[in-house]
Amino acid sequence: MTYLSKSGLGGLLAAGTLALATALPMKAQAETTYNLALLSDFSGPYADIMPILASSREVVFDWWNATSGKELGVKLNYKNYETRYDAAQVASLWPGIKSELAPIAVVGLGGPDVAALSERLPEDKIPMFMATAAYGFAWQPDSWIFNPRPTYSHEAAGFLAWMREQRGGDEPIKFAVLSSEASPAYVDMGKGLEVYAEEHPEAADLVEVIYTDVQPTDLTAQMRRVARSGAEAVIIQTNTSIVVAAKRGLQANGADIPIMMSSHNGLPASGKALGGLAQLEGDFEAYGMVIAADEDTEARQFYQTLVSDYGLKAPWNVVTAMGISQALYTVAVIEHAIEENGAEGLTGELVREALFAKPITSEETHGFLPSLTFTPEAPFPLKGLKVNVGTVKDGKITIAATGVDVPDLSKW
Amino acid sequence: MVYFINDIITGALIGLLYALVAMGFVVIYRASKVFNFAQGELVIIGGFIVWFTTMQLGLSLWLSIPLSLVLAGLVGYLIERIFLTKLIGESVFSMVMVTVGLLILLRGVVLLLFGASVRPFPIIFPLKPLLLGDMLIPMNLLIGGIITIVAAVGLSWFFNWTRSGLRMTAVAEDHVVAASMGISVKGSIAFAWILGAILSTIGAMIFLSGKSLTFLASDIGFAALPVALFAGLESIGGLVLAGIIIGVIQSLTTNYLDPIIGGSLGSVVPYIIMLAILLIRPTGLFGWRTIERV
Repeated sequence: MTYLSKSGLGGLLAAGTLALATALPMKAQAETTYNLALLSDFSGPYADIMPILASSREVVFDWWNATSGKELGVKLNYKNYETRYDAAQVASLWPGIKSELAPIAVVGLGGPDVAALSERLPEDKIPMFMATAAYGFAWQPDSWIFNPRPTYSHEAAGFLAWMREQRGGDEPIKFAVLSSEASPAYVDMGKGLEVYAEEHPEAADLVEVIYTDVQPTDLTAQMRRVARSGAEAVIIQTNTSIVVAAKRGLQANGADIPIMMSSHNGLPASGKALGGLAQLEGDFEAYGMVIAADEDTEARQFYQTLVSDYGLKAPWNVVTAMGISQALYTVAVIEHAIEENGAEGLTGELVREALFAKPITSEETHGFLPSLTFTPEAPFPLKGLKVNVGTVKDGKITIAATGVDVPDLSKW
Repeated sequence: MVYFINDIITGALIGLLYALVAMGFVVIYRASKVFNFAQGELVIIGGFIVWFTTMQLGLSLWLSIPLSLVLAGLVGYLIERIFLTKLIGESVFSMVMVTVGLLILLRGVVLLLFGASVRPFPIIFPLKPLLLGDMLIPMNLLIGGIITIVAAVGLSWFFNWTRSGLRMTAVAEDHVVAASMGISVKGSIAFAWILGAILSTIGAMIFLSGKSLTFLASDIGFAALPVALFAGLESIGGLVLAGIIIGVIQSLTTNYLDPIIGGSLGSVVPYIIMLAILLIRPTGLFGWRTIERV
């Protein structure tokens, strides 16, 4: 057995201390931290889906920090802010968020965030990344707010074009839209489809846009009118309560007209509100994002990784897919910015520049989104727009079509 | 023409549903002179009680409906005991402000207890509509309309012809004077809140049967407001007529004007009527005119 002398022990300690002292600054330099502000609605109209959406996007940031971020020497911190899906609340919170976090990007939720921050973000030079489809009223050049998906009207137009192709024949497809004046975003959905029908009379015939309350009393009369008009599809991209009331109205009239929903009010949410997916047999959901169906896809495999390795507890559904896809394209843009500018000194402005500099490939988002090419002309990609279509078959959500082309649509 | 008549009938039935919810406003107002801003939230509480007893406890409708009405009455009683009983004798304004606070509190309680998920509401009335030739009448609204008329007749009789009803009216006039005459002010106001909560629960069953339940359903309280103010806050019988008028105008606007102008005038028109009537006759069509001598 060997014993160290006092002086030897002292020397060893000194050497160890020196080594630790030199290593510590190196470690600190190796990890640059940036902040992200996450806008959330845990107590407003989307409170039912928020826990799933929030955990889905947070886990992607954790995954990125543990993988790409570690390699690049960057850590993304994030903090949720409760907005109650209220533009006034967002506007009042924003100065505090800015001074507290100094975020390089905002991860937004919906229309109220856009309404409250569209004028402020260009001044503050901080980009905001959304999960939802875009809105016609926000279709402006030089935006600081971005959507990975085109407008809701684009997505519905893609679905209608696909449905017409499935039906066959030269006749335009007759459709009705159910919307509500409770929110500018809801009105926008109807307006965009009016433009689509005007511009493509050979392809689409809009029989009526029906505006109703967000919790309608009864839609039997309205659905009878829709059935009488010979409509082949009803487009509802507002909320689940309107889907439920419309379905009951159609059932009361003995009319079997398929309803097309969007992601936030899609088949799982509306099916649950109706008492089971079987109620929506033959109905559709369509959007420019992966369909959370039972099929084994690249996106589903990535979700499984998040579940098994990063503790994600959210179920495999459209809300989870929205949260994951939103966070994935956000980190992809930040990664592009780091590759271009280095890990130090990243700003919101540099992140925005990186968005236009290089496309975000479908591989980078693990198949959750199609390849996205942003330009300063619009807050969403204008070219190569695609939608996926899901349906209920034998009581289960299945993929009806992927990569459906979206028709051109002029700005409204 | 058939469709036009059908739209009138459907509108009248929806108006009667508004009248039923508005009856909750009027019952509480007639007993305490308090305008309950939380009426829509009472509808939600009633809806959740029905949902809980039916979908969660799995009770049959025959058992869950009477149980829900009893539980709703208990909620109304507790609200009065906890929040309002101590304000008896204070200004009516204080009590009204408490109902504004109740609106926020009850919303929070619903979120806390049940969460924000959209839930399927049980099918209480048949989904299949009544077919009369080419006319189609939703069964929930038809049965709801009958319930509203029966409730209006019963409550009118109660308030105008029974000693208990007249006592409640005296309480509404002045708490202190009523108490000095030996009338139980606390008892009268508590009874009004029990009745208001029960009526709201019946309204929830008609409104939500076979649809979905979220706290957004409290908006029906606002939809009933024009009916209550149009009729006059003291008139139960007047609610039926006011409900039918507003429901028919709303239905015709929704079905014939909205498709032309491409807007939701139908949801605004009841409030336009309400504002017009407040300008022309502030007490409503059948409200009491009070003469104050200075």
